[in-house]
Amino acid sequence: MTDPLFQIRDLTVHSGPRPLLQSVDLDIPGEGGVFGFVGPSGAGKSTLLKSLNRLLELTPGLTIGGGVKFQGGDIYARSLNPDALRARIGMLFQQPVIFPAGILANVLFGIRRLGTVPRKALAETAERALRDAAIWDEVKDRLRESALRLSTGQQQRLCLARTLACQPEVILMDEPTSALDPRSSAAIEELIEKLKVRQPIVLVTHNLPQARRLCGSLALLCAGRLVMTGPASQVLDAPELESCLTPSLC
Amino acid sequence: MTCGVLGIIVWAIVKRGWPAISWGFFSEQIKLVGADGGIFYNLQGTGILLVTAFLVSAPAALALALLHGVYLKPQRRGGLALMLYILNGVPSILFGIFGMIVFVQYLDWGKSWLTGGILLGFMILPTVTIALMERIAAIPRRYTEAAAALGLRQSQIIRSVILPQSVGGLVTGSLLGLARAAGETAPIMFTATIFAGATFPTGIKESPVLTLPYHIFILAQDSFDPAVGSKLWGTALTLLLLVFLLSLLALPARLKLRQPAHHD
Repeated sequence: MTDPLFQIRDLTVHSGPRPLLQSVDLDIPGEGGVFGFVGPSGAGKSTLLKSLNRLLELTPGLTIGGGVKFQGGDIYARSLNPDALRARIGMLFQQPVIFPAGILANVLFGIRRLGTVPRKALAETAERALRDAAIWDEVKDRLRESALRLSTGQQQRLCLARTLACQPEVILMDEPTSALDPRSSAAIEELIEKLKVRQPIVLVTHNLPQARRLCGSLALLCAGRLVMTGPASQVLDAPELESCLTPSLC
Repeated sequence: MTCGVLGIIVWAIVKRGWPAISWGFFSEQIKLVGADGGIFYNLQGTGILLVTAFLVSAPAALALALLHGVYLKPQRRGGLALMLYILNGVPSILFGIFGMIVFVQYLDWGKSWLTGGILLGFMILPTVTIALMERIAAIPRRYTEAAAALGLRQSQIIRSVILPQSVGGLVTGSLLGLARAAGETAPIMFTATIFAGATFPTGIKESPVLTLPYHIFILAQDSFDPAVGSKLWGTALTLLLLVFLLSLLALPARLKLRQPAHHD
């Protein structure tokens, strides 16, 4: 058995006195595939996801306790450089975040500044990332045009291309289809299906059919607590899920 | 009401100042103690002070605004903003006295264009900084989050996300601040400007300049002579036009550069 990809131990997050996550213990396996976080709104899914690449600490006013290990290394260790960690972990947000610049500039936004790819290879890297994100054919003739002109669905795939260009070891996705129309959602889901063979993905979703389609394993969160974790079918058919989604309890 | 007051001031100045305006008025130097000639060196001197004030205030404002928006903890930000508001409220004559003690006397520069530029730079610092601070605060957090998630260092995020989206604030704040600084007399009257006899400054020590507001100040005390009066109103109109121009320039910069942050 391989080491877990992420080992979360006693993770507690407070916003002032209000708990967002309470003593979460969770192993996210390293075999690849899609690991999903499900639960109602406000359950702490996004908070948990953002604690995995230390993006959480950019939000002012949060206190974070406990620990997370990524591939065996403590990511909250003092000696660890959070920027270097975030460069190894890709992230896709709920709303596509497009910088006011051209399409090509957006794809290369991270990789050009990280300096991990030689200048000469940037164009090739951009093409490969755009192909992997299934958007190359739509943009190849207008790479210099403003990326703000793309549709929301295209923008989300462009964001995925930007992340893929950095060659992350794992990709975190925070409800990546919830802002999209059904066709664009299907396109993203198809991409996730393709990518999961290559690299592990951690997906936050409140869309249970989507979780069933995409995820191998799931963690169910409710009111900041981890309720259960296991194979997707098991979690989705468990009686806890029903009670968790009842608004009075959460 | 505002339009009325503005209208009366503009009307009065244009009516009396317009007859004095000619090409020679801008291209000639002062003659006969202000009763004849033009204001070429006064325009040039005010220009030198404004450029210097911009060069002094822009980097300082940028540093302070980044300190406020990026580096300081939220609970400390109020203190910095408060200090800027206090600085903004300091009477301009006190800047003049400060400049006289520090630059004219202690550093022994005498009257110098550089002192004037530095003092005006200090004076407009709050305006420029606050405009920049507001623009930085208006950048949606998802931009900085997305850049951080790609692994960029804070300095890279500042250069690639924060500066491009806030430079409009620097431009607008500077233009509005300079529009105000252009007419300031008190900070420069004993530190940087004289009435006559200065041309383009070639050094720092004992290198004063002629300026528009000080010209108005001196001529106004002498305006019983109709020839002087005409030049006085001409100078006033020139200063008014300069200030309008700076404020107008700030307007499209404000409208245009605000757009990128609105694209969602």
